[in-house]
Amino acid sequence: MIIETKEVAALPNTIIVQLSGELDFECITQISDLFIQIEKSDKNFAIVDLTAVSLISSAVLGELMGGRKRLIEKGGDLVLAGLKMDIRTKLGLMGATKIFRIFSDIRSALNSYKWENGSHPEQVKISFPSNLNIVPPVRQLVSRITKQKGYGNRDSFRIETIVDEVCNNAVEHGKQGDDQRINLQLQIDPDKVEIDVVNTSDPDKVESLKTLLHPHEIGEIKAEEKRGRGLALIKMLSDELSVNCSESGTSVHVKKKREE
Amino acid sequence: MESQIELVYEDIRGHGHAKLIKFIGDLDATNVETVLEKVCNLFNDGIYTIIADFKKLRYVNSTGLGILLHFSKSAREKGGCFKIANINENVYEIIEIIGATSLLEIYDELSEAIAALE
Repeated sequence: MIIETKEVAALPNTIIVQLSGELDFECITQISDLFIQIEKSDKNFAIVDLTAVSLISSAVLGELMGGRKRLIEKGGDLVLAGLKMDIRTKLGLMGATKIFRIFSDIRSALNSYKWENGSHPEQVKISFPSNLNIVPPVRQLVSRITKQKGYGNRDSFRIETIVDEVCNNAVEHGKQGDDQRINLQLQIDPDKVEIDVVNTSDPDKVESLKTLLHPHEIGEIKAEEKRGRGLALIKMLSDELSVNCSESGTSVHVKKKREE
Repeated sequence: MESQIELVYEDIRGHGHAKLIKFIGDLDATNVETVLEKVCNLFNDGIYTIIADFKKLRYVNSTGLGILLHFSKSAREKGGCFKIANINENVYEIIEIIGATSLLEIYDELSEAIAALE
């Protein structure tokens, strides 16, 4: 095994640990010593690059978990980057993928860290044709963006569901067609996501919209109803929901706090 | 373009009038009609006992859940059942939030769902 460490000029509290070769039982002392040194230093965020690692033992994984715990106690974290598919699979079987945050490479880990510790929210605007078939790729894109911004699988799945339901309603209850647009805006903060969706109103669908906005009680669910649960689902998944109808269109605002 | 969903049918040993359907992909507003048609074709063929394996069902939204409730109700009315097994935790949460867990027959494992046919 070879260990190399690198400092990050713009982030004095960050250290990159590059491990290579086979991480077997014999490496434990070396890795343990390294994390004792890091713990005593001014560093509290470590990116462990496993790109060149061909084998990782459970004992070494235990050392990494210990190192992570100590860095979290210092207000930081230890994340993994650059895992080969077989290593990732092994870590998954050992339950480690639920413990460590894993990034495809060092750059992604650094970007995520910089974003989470910065003060500026990210804004994403997507304008797409008012067509139900466009909604799945849009919701999947949003899910990928939130994951990239450090949100976990569960939060990203919930955000994907909210975007899906809101956009489906926007299409169904507004004007449809490739010349009509649905405008989706996301504001992604480290602790919350705000979603705004606006459609173009369709005078022929005013009555169906009124039905949609009628308060839905979860207890009223009936097996014979195939549709009409979208708004109830959005309400249950989100922390804030407001709907504003005007002659030009309906705008929906949803706030979803990060839970993981 | 519809979301990708594939329905794989298998026989269930010892239950000639039952079918196992593996749902693979996403079930949403773009493909519910396709799925509805496929499952209704089974009903039309006299197969009212169905076990749905959701191990590879990544996503379901409120529209998808609506047809699952429809399948369950229709199967029961015809003297059969629509049992679901192997649901991932994200999909289960959606079913739970909607309050549909009591309306659907849900099992942790496929083997439990099959055993419940006895």
